[in-house]
Amino acid sequence: MSIIPQLIVNSIIAGAIYSMVALGFNLIYGTAKFFDLGYGALAAVGGYTVFYFYDGLGINLYASIILGVFVSGAIGVLIYRLVYAPLRKRKSSSMVLLVASLGVMTALQSIVAIIFTSQFQTLSRDAGAERIYTIFGGVITQTQLVTLILGVLIMISIGLTFRYTLFGKAIKAVGDDEEVSKIVGINTTKIIGWVFFIGSAIAGLAGILVGFDTGIEPTMGLDLLLKGVIASIIGGIGNVYGGVLGAFLLGFIENFGIWKISGEWKDAIAFAVLIIFLLFRPQGILKK
Amino acid sequence: MEYLIHIAILISIYAILGLSLNLVVGFTGLLSVTQAAFYGIGAYATAILLVSTGMNFFLAMFIGMIITGIIALVMGFVLSKFKDDYYALGSFGFNVIIYSIFLNWQSLTNGPLGIPGIPRPTLFGFTFSENAWFLVLSAGCAVAIYFICQFITKSSFGRVLKAIREDDKAIAVFGYRTLWYKLAIFVISAVMAAVAGSLFASYITFIDPSSFTLTESIFILAIVILGGLASNKGAIWGAVFLILLPEILRFVGFPDEIAAQMRQVVYGLILILLMLYRPQGLVGEYRL
Repeated sequence: MSIIPQLIVNSIIAGAIYSMVALGFNLIYGTAKFFDLGYGALAAVGGYTVFYFYDGLGINLYASIILGVFVSGAIGVLIYRLVYAPLRKRKSSSMVLLVASLGVMTALQSIVAIIFTSQFQTLSRDAGAERIYTIFGGVITQTQLVTLILGVLIMISIGLTFRYTLFGKAIKAVGDDEEVSKIVGINTTKIIGWVFFIGSAIAGLAGILVGFDTGIEPTMGLDLLLKGVIASIIGGIGNVYGGVLGAFLLGFIENFGIWKISGEWKDAIAFAVLIIFLLFRPQGILKK
Repeated sequence: MEYLIHIAILISIYAILGLSLNLVVGFTGLLSVTQAAFYGIGAYATAILLVSTGMNFFLAMFIGMIITGIIALVMGFVLSKFKDDYYALGSFGFNVIIYSIFLNWQSLTNGPLGIPGIPRPTLFGFTFSENAWFLVLSAGCAVAIYFICQFITKSSFGRVLKAIREDDKAIAVFGYRTLWYKLAIFVISAVMAAVAGSLFASYITFIDPSSFTLTESIFILAIVILGGLASNKGAIWGAVFLILLPEILRFVGFPDEIAAQMRQVVYGLILILLMLYRPQGLVGEYRL
C-alpha cells in the first residue's frame, strides 16, 4: 500500500484545523492589530466546557458544543473588555499588548488546569467506534470530515459577511483606520468586541473538534495557536483567504516533511517555515 | 536550612537569567522570548561534556559558553531582520526549534529521558558537593554577572544600546552600525544564560528537555518585566519575588499540583496587571 494518499489526507486534516484557528486569529489581528496569544487558551476553554457538560453532566452533544462555543466567545469578549480595550485606549504599543496576551494565556490555561487537572482527556464517549471513510486509499474519521466541512463553511461565511453586509464592512473599516471609522459614526469598541466574540468562538470550536479527534489538555491551546499564527503569516496576515491557504500549505509541509524523519520534528519544521517566510516574504503569499 | 539554601541557589540562577535577558529586552528594546534556549544549550553542553569526557566543570562551562555564543550569533543575525512583535514571534520559533533538538537528537541528548548523573563542580581538588558551597559558587557567579551588567550598561556601549531602543534610525544616522551592537548584546546575553544553564545542570545533576520550553522563556521574561525593564537591580528583585512566590503558596497550604498551577496563574496575572498599570515594572526606567 502506498503511503502517499494517507499523507495527503493527513495534510488536509491538519490544514483544516489550522485554517480554523488561523481564521479567528486573522479576524482579530486584522481588526485589533496585535498578536493575541491569549486566543490560544480559548481553544482549551471550548474543549473543557464541552468536557464538563457532555462527559461530566451528560448533556446532549449538540447543546454542549453550542455551549462550549458560546462560553469561549463570551470569555474572549470579557478579556477584551478587561484587558485589551483599556490598553488600546491608551495607545499602548503592540509589544505591550503582546506581553499582556502572554499573561492572559498563561493565567487562563492554568485556571483550566486547576479546575480540571492537567491530565489528558478524551471527549468522545465511544472512542474508537467512530465511523471511518476511505478516500482514494486514505483514511479519514467522521470528526475530521466535520472539521474540514466546518472550516470551509466558516471561511465562506466570513468572506460573504465581509463582502455583502454592513457589519462586515464596518469590521473592515475599523481594521483599515480606527480613527476615521469613529468619525463616520461606527461604534468601534462594540465592533471590536463582536470581532473578539466571533474569533474566540471559532477558537473554542477548533478546540472542541481537536478534543473529539485526539483529546484535550490545558496546554493544547499554545500549540494550536502557534500553528494558526504561522499559517496566518505564511498565507498573508489579516487576509481571510490567505490564512486558509497558509494553513493547508503548513499542513502539507509538516506532513510531508516528516515522511522520512520522525514525527516529533513537526513543530521544528513549522517554525523553520515561519522563519524562512519572515525572512524572504514577510507579507505572506496573499498580501492584504 | 537545606531548603533555604536550595531556594537561594535557584534565585541566584534565575537572577543570572533575568540579568542577561534584561540586557536585550530592557536596555536594547528587543522583545526576545528565547532565553530558555540558551539556558538549555549551556546546560546540555556542560552536561554532555562532563558525563562523556569527565573534564573539569569550569572548562566544560567555558566550552558551553562558546557554543551558545556561536548559536546566538546565527540566531541574532536572523532575528535582526525583524522588528517589534515579529521579533518576538521569530524568537518563539527559535525556542521551539532548539527544544525540538533537545527532545529529538537522541544520540546526543538522550531525548526525553534526559541526562542523569551530572557531577558537581570541582576546583583544585575541592568538590562543591555540599549545597552551601554550591550556593557560594552560584551566588558568586550571579554577583559577578551583576557587576558585568552594571559595567556594560554604564559604559558608552550601553548608552548606544539605549539609543537604539529609543530610536534606532536616529542613532544609525550618527554613524553607529546598529546591527553590530544588537548582535553583540544578544550574544553576551546568551553567553550569560549559558552560565546559568551550566550551574543548573550540575546543581540538579539531571537535565531533560522539559526545563527549557517556551513557557520557561516566558517565565524569564516575566522576571525581567516584573523587576523592571532596564534596571539590573530590578532583574534580581524579579527573580527573588517570582521564585519565592510558589514557595509561599505552598506554605499557605495549597497542594503541590495546585501550587504549581497557581504560580502560573499569578505570574500570568502579574504580566497583565503590570501592562495595565505599571508597564515599566517595579523599579524599571523604560516601558515597552
